[in-house]
Amino acid sequence: MKRYLITRLGQALLVLWGAYTITYFILYLLPGDTLTIMLSASGMEADGLSPEALAKARAFYGLDKGLFEQYIDLLWRALHGDLGQSLSLGRPVTALLAERLPQTLALAGSAIVLSVVGGVGLAYLTAYLQWRPLKTALARVPSLGFSIPVFWMGLLLIQVFAFALGWVPATGSQGVASLVLPAITLAIPSAAVYAQVLQRGFQGVWQEPYITTAFAKGLSRAQVQARHGLRNATLPLLTLIGLQVGNTVSGAVLVETIFSRNGVGRLAQEAVLRQDIPVVLAIVAVSAAAFVLVNLIVDLLYPYLDPRITPTAKVN
Amino acid sequence: MPPLHHLFAFGALTLALTACSPGDEASADKTLNIAFWGDNTTLVSLDPFQVYWLEHRVLLRNVAESLTDQDPDSGQIIPWLAKSWEVSADALSYTFHLRQDVTFSNGERFDAHAVKAAFDSNKAFAAQLPATFGATYLAGYDRAEVLDAFTVRLVLSRPNAGFLQATSTTNLAILAPASYQLTAKARSLGNIIGTGPFILDHYTPEVGARLVKRSDYGWPSANVHNRGAAHVDAINISYIPEESVRNGLFLQGKTDILWPRNPFSEVDLKLFQAKGATIQSRSLPGPALNLYPNTRDNRLLADRNVRLALQKAIDRTSYAHTVYNAQFPVVSGVYDVTTPYFKPQANKLVHDPAGAEQLLDAAGWHKGEDGYRHKNGKRLTLRYNLTPAESAGDVLVQDQLRKVGIDLKLNVLTRAEWVAGNAAGSYDLTSTYMTRADPIILQTILDPRSANSATLATNTYEPQTLTRAQALFDSGITATDDAQRAQAYGQLQDLLIDEASAFPLYERVWQAATSPRVKDFRWTAEGFALFSDIEVSQP
Repeated sequence: MKRYLITRLGQALLVLWGAYTITYFILYLLPGDTLTIMLSASGMEADGLSPEALAKARAFYGLDKGLFEQYIDLLWRALHGDLGQSLSLGRPVTALLAERLPQTLALAGSAIVLSVVGGVGLAYLTAYLQWRPLKTALARVPSLGFSIPVFWMGLLLIQVFAFALGWVPATGSQGVASLVLPAITLAIPSAAVYAQVLQRGFQGVWQEPYITTAFAKGLSRAQVQARHGLRNATLPLLTLIGLQVGNTVSGAVLVETIFSRNGVGRLAQEAVLRQDIPVVLAIVAVSAAAFVLVNLIVDLLYPYLDPRITPTAKVN
Repeated sequence: MPPLHHLFAFGALTLALTACSPGDEASADKTLNIAFWGDNTTLVSLDPFQVYWLEHRVLLRNVAESLTDQDPDSGQIIPWLAKSWEVSADALSYTFHLRQDVTFSNGERFDAHAVKAAFDSNKAFAAQLPATFGATYLAGYDRAEVLDAFTVRLVLSRPNAGFLQATSTTNLAILAPASYQLTAKARSLGNIIGTGPFILDHYTPEVGARLVKRSDYGWPSANVHNRGAAHVDAINISYIPEESVRNGLFLQGKTDILWPRNPFSEVDLKLFQAKGATIQSRSLPGPALNLYPNTRDNRLLADRNVRLALQKAIDRTSYAHTVYNAQFPVVSGVYDVTTPYFKPQANKLVHDPAGAEQLLDAAGWHKGEDGYRHKNGKRLTLRYNLTPAESAGDVLVQDQLRKVGIDLKLNVLTRAEWVAGNAAGSYDLTSTYMTRADPIILQTILDPRSANSATLATNTYEPQTLTRAQALFDSGITATDDAQRAQAYGQLQDLLIDEASAFPLYERVWQAATSPRVKDFRWTAEGFALFSDIEVSQP
């Protein structure tokens, strides 16, 4: 077990380093260089400046180092916990993250909880129902949920619940109320995936001999589904939840823009557009770390939930 | 276990219901709520000297004040923090007599030393970062001489006829000496102290800003009707990038002033007016929304006749009326009408498709089977670089040009590619604008010696026209009297249209919708607003 853990941690670090490095070089491959974008943003374009003025501006923004030199410098400092300075915001990246991360964590956290509750609930209900037409109708809902574009869903929810009914604020990051609509918007696609997979799971499980045995023992349908069906059908969900953490980060980009929330998703989008390399790298590192961590936890949980699964062979 | 099902199935809904808030009660009586579109995320700065972002200049106008102000109707420079001034005969030295009753919001006295500190600090910053926007306003500034506590002389090393107007802008606003002790980065993030009727309470990039009233204020320029402290207690500014959400907040009454960058569509306009909103409009001074050609490297627009045909093929009236609405002004020159020394060119900008076809035929471009014109087996295809997305207006122009046989290719690029395209000259048409209530602003676009993009500025003229344009720019900036300036900029505007070096598309009208509770919204000369005049009431 210890060796397994060490191997997994090593892999996790490798993934982190890979994500960091690939992101850095992709940013360099984007058309236009950071200095040109930043000069253009300050109302000037690089071809209007003398070489001396350009060099000055380059030094002012700290862009006067070579490709690899800057990479090594950034990586070395990141390893020491210093994520550098944002090029356009002129603030330490750690301070920016500290400010933005809680917003996104709250959003992602409640979205994950909502999606699990909603997805599992829907699949559970579908499996329990015996009236065919309704069962079939509910079985189609996940495909619908997954097909609806996130931004459209967000705008629809705002129109109905914020503008027409006035129950919750449409925008902002203040208070729990402002979290409701964004979290639901972000939860829907994941919930749909969970519901779909769990429905399939139930379909498979109902055919298993132990279900017949459970019925034979005289348990009611509800008891069989809760005790024997659900536990066996939910296993694949665990893997999915781990994978959906990644989707939540990308979904946050859209949701935070629609709801004018001040989170990491929007920061990531803006930082990519203005090629603010330290900020993008930090966000990629943080989300990669979250992704790796959640999946590690999921893998470690498996043996406890299902004794049939072990990280290493029991018999040597 | 029926209850469990319910909990699962309706979990999301229940949560939505229980988490309802009783509505936003925070918008108390005397708070003004303003919703702009998204914040500038590329250059995050509230430092007046660096800011070109219009929305930030609106905010700054109410926090930081300038030596002079500009009359929005006449364009005349009028007293503000300076009671009066003299300009030397050679237009190189400006002596300002300052008001003696002005203080910064941190208690510091506004005096000649504060003015010197501001100008010297700006000069130092421009030396460090010559690309900064304010540098063009400060062009030629050499030093400040403190003559006595309330008299300061600003000395230029070379003529700059726009300097007096520059002293009226937010870009050369005077901050407290304490603000200049801080780094430019600290100022950028909102650590700015001015003499204005509002104090910047806080600024959170991409989210919003809050201004609170200064109760001991009492030195407005003649542009402001309210001579004392502001009527509203506080102003909440929020940046809402999503249009439908922004409009919804306004219709809900959660925002008092809806102020996006682009003019409202006719549908939205009607909807807002039906709700009792007033639409405030002002043409932003500076160039109109013009397309600039690339006449170099043997590109198609090197031929003056093709350019003149293009000019005639654009239907500006239908642009204004279909993209916006029937009341929308039709662009009538190189500049917007609010720019001082504006010279109307409407008679040269009439829609004349027959004339365009004649010119193109004469230039050897003949219509082919596909409806487009060809010459030597090559199609008359013009590449129009634009960012970040094409507008309805762009598509309309494309269609107008198609009717005379010109194939306009809308080349949609990311900002970075667009900038690179301008610098490399890989376009036939491109577009850019700047806002300033002085004709000198055109030099930052069309004078290769001081333009943001020297390539764009060079490419827009044929070589012989460039020489003439630069002579007129020189004559305009060294002018010492109004008549000379009017003549120089008048000829320049003629030249740009006659040589088809600029293709005006539409008047850059800035619109804000104000709710019925907002009274006395007024524009400044540069298209900003003075919030101390605004009153809010319960309708």
